[in-house]
Amino acid sequence: MEIQSEASAVGKVKSRKYLRELMPLLGFMGVIVAFSIATGGKITAPANLSLMLSQVYVLLISSMGVFMVMTVGGLDFSQGSILGLSSIVFCWVSGHSIVAGIAAAALAGAAMGAFNGFFHVRFRIASFIVTICTMYFFRGLCKYITTNGPVPAIPEVLELNLTWLKLLLAAVMLMTGFAVWRFTRVGCDLRAIGAGETAARFSGCRPDLRKFLVFTAAGAITGFASFINVVKVGSITGTAGSQLETQILIALVLGGMPISGGAKARFSNIIIGTLTYCVLEMSLPMVFPIPATQQLVKGMVFLVVVALTIDHESLRVIK
Amino acid sequence: MSDAVLRSERLCKRFGITTAVDDVSLEFEKGEIHGLIGENGSGKSTFCSTLCGIYPPSSGRFLLEGKELKARSQVEANRRGVSIIVQETGTLPGLTVAENLFLGEEDKFMHGIVKDAGAMDREAQRLLNEYGFTRIVASRMIDYYSFEDRKLIEIVKATYFNPKVLVVDETTTALSQSGREELFTVMDRARSLGNTVIFISHDLEEVIERADRISVLRDGRLVATVRSAEVGSGELKHLMVGRELGTHYYRTDYGEPVPDEVVLRVDDLSVPGQIQGLSFDLRKGEILGIGGLSECGMHEVGKAIFGASFGRSGRVTLEDGYGVDSIPGAIRHGVAYASKDRDNESVVIADSIRDNICLPSLDDLAAGPFLRSGKLDAFARRNAELMSVKMTGIDQYVSSLSGGNRQKVVLARWLGKDSDILVLDSPTRGIDVKVKADIYALMDELRRKGKSIVMISEELQELLGMSDRILIMKRGRISGEFARSRSLGERDLITKMV
Repeated sequence: MEIQSEASAVGKVKSRKYLRELMPLLGFMGVIVAFSIATGGKITAPANLSLMLSQVYVLLISSMGVFMVMTVGGLDFSQGSILGLSSIVFCWVSGHSIVAGIAAAALAGAAMGAFNGFFHVRFRIASFIVTICTMYFFRGLCKYITTNGPVPAIPEVLELNLTWLKLLLAAVMLMTGFAVWRFTRVGCDLRAIGAGETAARFSGCRPDLRKFLVFTAAGAITGFASFINVVKVGSITGTAGSQLETQILIALVLGGMPISGGAKARFSNIIIGTLTYCVLEMSLPMVFPIPATQQLVKGMVFLVVVALTIDHESLRVIK
Repeated sequence: MSDAVLRSERLCKRFGITTAVDDVSLEFEKGEIHGLIGENGSGKSTFCSTLCGIYPPSSGRFLLEGKELKARSQVEANRRGVSIIVQETGTLPGLTVAENLFLGEEDKFMHGIVKDAGAMDREAQRLLNEYGFTRIVASRMIDYYSFEDRKLIEIVKATYFNPKVLVVDETTTALSQSGREELFTVMDRARSLGNTVIFISHDLEEVIERADRISVLRDGRLVATVRSAEVGSGELKHLMVGRELGTHYYRTDYGEPVPDEVVLRVDDLSVPGQIQGLSFDLRKGEILGIGGLSECGMHEVGKAIFGASFGRSGRVTLEDGYGVDSIPGAIRHGVAYASKDRDNESVVIADSIRDNICLPSLDDLAAGPFLRSGKLDAFARRNAELMSVKMTGIDQYVSSLSGGNRQKVVLARWLGKDSDILVLDSPTRGIDVKVKADIYALMDELRRKGKSIVMISEELQELLGMSDRILIMKRGRISGEFARSRSLGERDLITKMV
């Protein structure tokens, strides 16, 4: 009798856990269904789908880096500025060779990420403070460079605005990221550090080194994504990439990423979150033609989703 | 002297499942200095915090001059005539000395909504001068003053209003000799005015010298109240530390030789403020016990061996000549560590059992840089089952396990890692008898297999029952060494501890 009730209690806990893990996916489908109805099926029209897809790539790739940052319990608000600045680097170097341009952009991103990581780890400043500061700092550089006008890309770059290429690059990046997350010790380490840094240190992880590398990697990944950004926009202005950081954060949270990081981070958070965000972004103008209303609705939807999906249990563990 | 000013009646204070103060009934007389002693965690500080309104009691009550005292805050306790000088700094940074002195009493200096800061400063300075602390300026920021001066300010704060009961909670450890004398003068004056002083200290000689009567607490219970003229420090030590505990679940062998092979050599190991110049060897198949009072530095020894201490000097050398200087290095070379602070340092409680067991062994389980999750699952399951962890599955979070099961997860991970040297700090702390017995059996088994164990423990019976050799520490140094023997008793260890 007692054993039975214990088993059913365990079962209940397990099914609740699965439901929670499925929440983001249900949310994604809910958003699609709701907006399909609201737009009379327009969002699934091929033209709209390809429009949506064109916005996905940069967000999808950049989210991967921030996903790792958030897993260790950090935040990164400098991503948009990193994208802007590394796009400029790409434009400069791609004159010599496009491949060298990509490498240079990724390097520049890595350097900016390392800058974040260094200040966060070495001086023990909360990552959101460091990255808010560097957001302004990198943005400032970006605007300074573009004072006399936007930095243009060479015409050959624009010819690379091919859906299959962008799709391929995003897929390769995503698969590489997944492999590293799932099949090396990186995933285990980062989850443990996010869940309890001291205990992780005593288990043989190197939290400081890992955190530094994670910020560096996040910068490098966004640096790489700047190639796709340039291919799409053609020339870089002072505000290029701004708002990317908030888009990433919103996407990840919509995807079920726990804000406090830790063991509940799932790689699927990146994909589901980015897709949900892009569907929202594309559909809102169709339903609400006035931009102000769009912002309003976006804010409300975001708040409701977070309120519904936030995991109070995992927040309670945090000290 | 039967006129008790303050009386506690069947006082209990529980924090979750732990009972910090257990059914304590005590009388404090008018005009006495009453010593309160006990090991760390024996409930002295909790008792006094409950008295002063810092925590509400779980059950029982205090009677002050026959009327129930139910203070909900320190300020309220002050107004009833009970005040405390605490272990930690009780002053607030960012405020002036005067503001600190009159915290909670600002109303005295208010004219409507305007505070008369000048009057407050003048009154504060008058009090400081009266106590003879003329070098302290009332209008200065408290941050300007040293730790010791702040303690003196606290003394003034706690006594200027002539409280009926004054609690002095291990304040002397923060004071130099001259500071102590000032404090003792204040205590003596309070007594001569017919007030009561409750004096908590670890320095037994000091307590015997200053107090009229002494009460001893152990594990939250009142063990005895004695007249200080009638006891020696030896008797008090035994009252403090002695425990009634069966010995049946410890290992039973005596006189088994330990191989001479040294597997770990500690050489002149120091950690600032914790341990000084420690040197000892650990042999193959040996259980080396390290004991002492909680603050003697023994807990830092475990961290230092594991490469986890900050600012460590000296050497920790393994059999193969490797010098341990980092946690990953220690783990790689077969050193395991289970911390006393299990939830923060031993296991990642907000993570799964699987991840916790696999973390130290990830590099062994990998093929090149790659891990197969099937292999990890099997590894975690095998070791969890070996330790018979009670769980719903390896996906379960450690946070949902009991203390004993969490410790089993800790041991499971090191068994899985197959470490040769296990440093176990308080391995049975807060663990029930059943799991305790399992852990002792495991330690005995590991010893027979030629693994070496450093067991750091505050429980004397455990040290006596399990160790081949016992090192006793006092104030960061080794103060005694004992070989395993049937005739060795708690008293022998205690004399070296206190």
